Amino acid sequence: MMSEENMTQLFEKLNDLKKVFSYGEKLIPVIHSLGEFMKETVPLLENINQSIAESTAKIPKATNQIQSVTSATEMATTEILDLVDVLNNDLINIEKTMLDVLVKEKDKEDFLKSLIPMLNKENAELFIDDFLSKNSSAEKLGELLLQVGKMKNDSNNIAVSLQVQDITAQQLATVNHLIESVQEKLSALIEDFDNTKILDNHEINLPDNASFDPNARYSKSSVPQQEVDSIFNQKSQKASQAEIDKLFS
Amino acid sequence: MKKVILVADDSPTIRKFVSISLKVKGFEIIQVADGMQALEILPSEPVDLIITDLNMPNVDGFELIKTIRSNEEYRELPIIILSSLSSNEEIEKGIQCGANAYLLKPFDSKRVLYEVSKFLN
Repeated sequence: MMSEENMTQLFEKLNDLKKVFSYGEKLIPVIHSLGEFMKETVPLLENINQSIAESTAKIPKATNQIQSVTSATEMATTEILDLVDVLNNDLINIEKTMLDVLVKEKDKEDFLKSLIPMLNKENAELFIDDFLSKNSSAEKLGELLLQVGKMKNDSNNIAVSLQVQDITAQQLATVNHLIESVQEKLSALIEDFDNTKILDNHEINLPDNASFDPNARYSKSSVPQQEVDSIFNQKSQKASQAEIDKLFS
Repeated sequence: MKKVILVADDSPTIRKFVSISLKVKGFEIIQVADGMQALEILPSEPVDLIITDLNMPNVDGFELIKTIRSNEEYRELPIIILSSLSSNEEIEKGIQCGANAYLLKPFDSKRVLYEVSKFLN
């Protein structure tokens, strides 16, 4: 026979159980909506996963395109530099020939001037005014030589500016390196999600041992070089002093 | 006899530009794409001066200079660094390795000629 105390405990437990059921009843709609939410979320997550997978698969194409841009600009720049080289050589030859002509022209002028004392005054003035001043090419040649010098300077400036290709190639290599890291991370994410390996089918083929300066900047300012010169001079002098001390110690 | 300059840079643009700048003054130029090729060519070619980049595949510029300087035969060979690296650490490292000059990219051909003629006059 159950005692009164046991009966009380039994009723208490039953009461607790009732509360649990009553709480469960309240919880059921929440669990139901959670289930509904999950149902709706799964396709969404699958969509996100699919999008990431597709984007990741496209990355190698992007890096290849960047790589081919670098190759194409490199080739074009080298071709332009070849032309600048030819232009420079032509200008040097033109300058040399013009200098020769200028020297001959001066000689001719000096010779003609040496004839002046042999002429009477009237003929001498006529000779100087009409012949010498009208037929002297020295001045024009001088002007043309200045133009050639300017053209040489311009072609040198073109060549200097073409160094921008090297700097942009380094910047593009940096971008490719970043893209490669992003692809690795996304592939790992997809692999964790549904065990699909993206990298197996869509590997990025960047050049082996690619080396680049991620901070490469194109600037024509002379300040950075002055700073380098200053550091170089200071440190080199210190090195020299150390060597002298070593020699006389 | 023409002075021979070895230019080590992985960028064909820079090699070409240096070559154009120095050829005008009668220097003979040998071009290589990295430090490894420079080290391979050095024993077989009489080189009077080296111009080298720092960021290069296989053997970089720092390693190239250190290797050259460790050889008694090339202790006095002038070496000019041509690089876009501009931090104090990199410049100091270049000096410690044994470079004789440090030029920043982009550079002026007159400056390269000036540095080269300082050593090859």
